[in-house]
Amino acid sequence: MNTIDNFLHNSCKANPNKLALIDDNSKFSYFELESEVKKFSSFLNQFPKKSVISLLFDNTSEFVISYLATINSGCIAHLIPTGISESNLNQQLLSAQPALILSSDLYFSKTKKIELKNLEKLKFSEVKETSSDIQTPSSNDYAYLIYTSGTTSTPKGVPISHASCVFSTKNIANTLQYSNNDVDLLPLPMSHSFGLGCLHTSLYVGSTLVLQKNPSIENILNSIKKYEITTLAAVPSTLSNIISNGSNDSLNLLSNLRLIITNSTFFPPPTIRKLKTFLKTGMVATYYGLTEASRSTFMIFNDDKKIESVGKPSDGIEIKIHTENKDDNTGEIWIQGSNVLDNYWKKEYSENISNNWLKTGDLGKFDDDGFLYILGRVDDLINISGEKVYPQEIERIVKVLSGIDEVVAIPMKHKSFGEVVKLFVKKSIDSEITSSTILTHCIKNLERFKVPAKIEFVEDFPRTDYGKIKRFMLKE
Amino acid sequence: MNFDGLKKLSLNDDVKKIFFETFPLLNEPDFDWEKTQNNFDDWDSFAQLNLITLAEAKFEITFSDDEITSIISAKTLLEAIKSKI
Repeated sequence: MNTIDNFLHNSCKANPNKLALIDDNSKFSYFELESEVKKFSSFLNQFPKKSVISLLFDNTSEFVISYLATINSGCIAHLIPTGISESNLNQQLLSAQPALILSSDLYFSKTKKIELKNLEKLKFSEVKETSSDIQTPSSNDYAYLIYTSGTTSTPKGVPISHASCVFSTKNIANTLQYSNNDVDLLPLPMSHSFGLGCLHTSLYVGSTLVLQKNPSIENILNSIKKYEITTLAAVPSTLSNIISNGSNDSLNLLSNLRLIITNSTFFPPPTIRKLKTFLKTGMVATYYGLTEASRSTFMIFNDDKKIESVGKPSDGIEIKIHTENKDDNTGEIWIQGSNVLDNYWKKEYSENISNNWLKTGDLGKFDDDGFLYILGRVDDLINISGEKVYPQEIERIVKVLSGIDEVVAIPMKHKSFGEVVKLFVKKSIDSEITSSTILTHCIKNLERFKVPAKIEFVEDFPRTDYGKIKRFMLKE
Repeated sequence: MNFDGLKKLSLNDDVKKIFFETFPLLNEPDFDWEKTQNNFDDWDSFAQLNLITLAEAKFEITFSDDEITSIISAKTLLEAIKSKI
């Protein structure tokens, strides 16, 4: 099973009548899903192998069918987030050079302004079964192409091979004990590697995947009840919202889950502890990964002392801390393994890969027991009179205060200290928290030089198309 | 009722509070309006930055560089704030 297309095929063979996929409007058994994918592949087979097919869909069965059909036909699925800006879309398409852009009816209008030579544009509903020769991918072929979110710089094209994806999927399934008894709820975009990994895992083990377009708390809790969900994958803010705003009755619905998985480098400990109390016997877990190196570590929160760690390296993956001074235990995280991309798209950014080691740009350290901790980004370090300060340390302290949704610490130039800390704060709705409350809290909990010299409240942050905060845009 | 007196009392209390928050080791009996920076063990340049930032946040004011340099005691901080509000 070295290519992704085998996931669906094998699960269909094992259990054709089992429910594979549920979205807001439809349900598919494994047999029905494979039949739809085959029909769609017959159309895509007319494109030469390794052609790029750009896909613009939200969380629907249309995405799953288009994606799997693209892969089945030996083409490369370029996954576009639906919230993408016009300029970013143009930038990605110029780089990816797709032969076809496929979209749901809803998002087709986004493709109208694109003027790219030889680009065909189609709605999902316009694709018809044809009789082209069958094409199949090889394990070293690229399966999909995702552009990084551009949190820290210009988006980079990340092509992932079938072999790499199969390796990561097996790691997810084994570590988090997914099985065909699971019913997996996915309120996450599959155009992102977190959501896509959940789709792969579900197909690989032959479980049932419930797709949710709107990740509201009410929808999530309703689905958990309606479909007897066993695993939930969600971003930390969704989980924090469930904990903060769900009633006790609704939160009790979580008790039957066997797994909640999130993807944060920092998952607030109070949220983890609360989730664990509602889950009874289930696992709360996170992982550390990049689009370039999916699921490099896993952390199942069992030991409260390790609650701020992202866990240990996954099976078959090596992680080292690269330091300039060998006495330092903190440095840039480098990753090597079958989950790591071999090259960026068009072999750009080659400086980020050295002897198969991916230089992540993330700062981290291991503790004595081999647990990894993420401290921030190399580029985000704040240099205060020669002292290196990790913004995340400050952000973690401030996030403990109630009334704060999000917080970002950045360097601000200072005539005496070189740099000092400036804090951007997004308050929760109806929060009356003041900058003096935050400062008093910081003075109590941080060394003096780390206390912010300026606090600015913001309505929201500049964000990438994936919703991540663009820190570099906040810097002066 | 003497509202000016009440206002003055409240302002003094607020400034004292800023001092206790900035210098957590400072005890109530040791507080002295005239005590200067040189007589505090832990009033270094970063403490000065914390003190000024906290005062600016509490009173929603901004001090100039000269004003910051002149703040060397609770009394001078109180006067600097009074001149701004």
